[in-house]
Amino acid sequence: MQTNSFRSYTWIWLVLALLLLGMLVLAPLMMIFWTSLYPDQNFDLQAPLRNIMQSEVSQVLFNSIWLGLCVIAATTVLAFPLAWIMAKTELRRHKWLDIVLLIPFMTPPYIGSMGWMLFMQTNGYMEQFIPAASALTPAFFSFWGMVTIMSLHLFPFLYLLLRNSLLQISGNMEEAAAVHGGGFFYRIRRIILPLLLSSYVMGALLIFVKTIAEFGTPATFGRKIGFYVMTSEIHKYISSWPIDFGKATSLASVLLASCLVMWYIQSVISSRYSYRLVGGKGTVSKYASVKNWRGFVCWFYIGLLLLASIGVPYFSIITASLLKLRGEGLAWGNLTLQHYADLLAPGSESLNALLNSFGLSIVASTIAVVLGTWLALTVQRSRTPGQKLVDLFSLLPNTVPGIVIVVGLILLWNAKWMPIPLYNTYGMVVLTYVILFLPYTVQYVKSSYGQIDPMLLQAGHVFGGRKLYVLRRILLPLLLPGMLAGWMMTFTISNRELVASLLILPPGMKTSATYIFAQFEQGAVSMGMAMAVISVGITTALLLAMSYISSKQKVE
Amino acid sequence: MRIAKQGMMLALTVCMGIGLVGCGAAGNNAKTAETAPANSVSAPVEPQDTDKKLSGTLAVYSAGPEGLANKIKEGFEAKTGVKVEMFQGTTGKILARMEAEKSNPAVDVVVLASLPAMQGLNQDGMLLGYPEAANADKLITDWSDKDGHYFSYSASALGIVYNTKLVQTPPTSWEDLAKPEWKGKVNIPDPSLSGSALDFISGYLSDVGENGWTLFDSYKQNGVAMAGANQEALDPVITGAKSVVAAGVDYMAYKAKAAGEPIDIVYPKEGSVISPRPAAIMKTSKNSDNAKAFIDYLISDEAQKLVADAYLLPGRSDVEAKDRANTSEIATFNVNWQWMNENSDSVTTKFTQLFK
Repeated sequence: MQTNSFRSYTWIWLVLALLLLGMLVLAPLMMIFWTSLYPDQNFDLQAPLRNIMQSEVSQVLFNSIWLGLCVIAATTVLAFPLAWIMAKTELRRHKWLDIVLLIPFMTPPYIGSMGWMLFMQTNGYMEQFIPAASALTPAFFSFWGMVTIMSLHLFPFLYLLLRNSLLQISGNMEEAAAVHGGGFFYRIRRIILPLLLSSYVMGALLIFVKTIAEFGTPATFGRKIGFYVMTSEIHKYISSWPIDFGKATSLASVLLASCLVMWYIQSVISSRYSYRLVGGKGTVSKYASVKNWRGFVCWFYIGLLLLASIGVPYFSIITASLLKLRGEGLAWGNLTLQHYADLLAPGSESLNALLNSFGLSIVASTIAVVLGTWLALTVQRSRTPGQKLVDLFSLLPNTVPGIVIVVGLILLWNAKWMPIPLYNTYGMVVLTYVILFLPYTVQYVKSSYGQIDPMLLQAGHVFGGRKLYVLRRILLPLLLPGMLAGWMMTFTISNRELVASLLILPPGMKTSATYIFAQFEQGAVSMGMAMAVISVGITTALLLAMSYISSKQKVE
Repeated sequence: MRIAKQGMMLALTVCMGIGLVGCGAAGNNAKTAETAPANSVSAPVEPQDTDKKLSGTLAVYSAGPEGLANKIKEGFEAKTGVKVEMFQGTTGKILARMEAEKSNPAVDVVVLASLPAMQGLNQDGMLLGYPEAANADKLITDWSDKDGHYFSYSASALGIVYNTKLVQTPPTSWEDLAKPEWKGKVNIPDPSLSGSALDFISGYLSDVGENGWTLFDSYKQNGVAMAGANQEALDPVITGAKSVVAAGVDYMAYKAKAAGEPIDIVYPKEGSVISPRPAAIMKTSKNSDNAKAFIDYLISDEAQKLVADAYLLPGRSDVEAKDRANTSEIATFNVNWQWMNENSDSVTTKFTQLFK
């Protein structure tokens, strides 16, 4: 049976995709390995091995993996009830929640951690309100505090994936079960959970990878509590004297290997448990009504989540951005809006940085969506070895810590023999963002595609639709929510991207993230926090406007 | 109908994107055109005539403080008409970027916050000698290379920085910080991230020898926390989470104090380390005339005054520091820069492992 109307072109697309990914993703990584094998201008195959043996790698590797697993557990606990509420109850009308829940994710992780630290530390904001809270300080500055901070940062990611899948599960299946006498918990256990498994495993994998590849929180909070992970070790070798790319790249390959193992497990599970959920028949979704105590419980849960993930860090961030003297603490007389005025002064460095960021992220996310959708369509359900390879390569940037790819990109694009003069231009920054965040679109679109029944495409074909027509009228519209989610995700993350920007921006150019970082380095914390408030604020407003427009259109 | 609308949304987004790509590309072109003369490796004829006024660009990788770096950039541009493209970062970040660009270097002048790191570059033969630099003879001799490979245009001293609201009687000696009253209240910058903290630790060890580790052992026993680069170590002291920074850079403390924060600094009586901040021209520089002019400018009266205004110690012996302790007023250890350069690696490793 022909499952795909584009079969005749498939291999051409496949080769093209492999070539492109080879150049964009594989080549920089090859440059890294090449460098790790040439520690002192001499070819040395054993160098990476020796480096790994030398640098107490087992402890930090264990730390990384343990952290990843704990964060998966915590994000699951946070995201599952929320996804259910937002997909299956009347509360799903409140679309603004989706955008608001992106705020933790839009907040640069090191800013979020700073916010928590300012709030919880000795003489911190919490203690200034409730002196007795100082008893909590030692408990918070521990491994579990770090898990909390990272989970509150990452859970929206899992939530979006889970909610989208829940929405795809048509009410028919649940109704059928209900008609046949299946109770609420029976339906959850036998229908919802199995159907969700594939999406959940994908989300959990991404959470895991995000956690062990994250640099901001380990660099701020982890360092404070003496908890070191792979990324902080790699960053140490790459950014402090003496520089040792050999050690860094060797550690990076260990990190890469552990991520690939996870990827393999994920692909086995999702190929075994993936189902086609979007069929040709109309779906009637049934919403649980949430009245009285149920509504109260739901809202209480959402409120608590918002308070912890946005309330606490943003209280600190906003407060810090308003303080005249940080040594004076909270007092009405110590507040000022001066930092904001300085920040937005026309022609100022800070305003330029802000505009730079938005320009770069819009361009990068648009390119990433186009490329990512194409790659996801090439991958499809990753059955053939070629498709599996495309899948693997397009996910690689998410599997390798950003800083490693960035160094590879510099080595590649600034090599003597490179004919394209991209290095030290804006183009290089856009390219880096696109490569780093390509996996998001690929994942989102793939997840939408995986649930479309191929019979829909066949139907279009049978009724005389040519290939492009089927693509345009059936496939793309069904993929659009996934693409939009990918665009938003790429936009928000590249808008706050720090590690790559620090290394790859042309001299003299700043983005909002590097501006913030520089302010912290220079001791102008208030200016940095004010920039964080403004850039996250504008991003949120943009996304709210976008979702408002698209929801208006649906009503018509 | 709904699908068509969604399609329009998508098209709109894409158009917006393309429009911006267009802008970006135009920007790029302008930029490439601007930097083209600087970057063309194989320019057959050197167009620069020594008699002519300087022009073109200069790539400077500079370790902070940012305000000072910007003022020096503006001053130099106004004076020479050369456009400075500046990358600012910590010493470690600058070295990392240079390492990554090794095969095709873009930097002309590098300004670091750590002398041993610069000595390392010099030993690798990466620096261009410029012994005829104007006013170089007025520089403090211990801090700069006598063959003119690097020039320490400024310096900072390390001391004990404390929160005046939390500390009434500040410690007067490095050993004081090992006393029970300071338990859990002290930060020390991470020597792998702060060149000046490394200068302090290795400078102290170069003077007192291996026995010096007992001081750092006692710090560890007393709950001294290793906390990031200089500003990260200072911030908790400003906000009151900690009381003291051991081996804090003084210009940051003076700057915070001048802004009104409850911060002050003492230099322990038994001595400290003054950490010079050197600048140098890279051998690979394609704008060496501009680079030489930049070095001249760094040592000029004008730039030395900017240095003093930023609460740093001027690199010239004939320029006074402003609103702060002068070089002559700070007791220093008998440091051995050569030993420090050779041992910085092992000292960093041992120290960070001790405090992990």
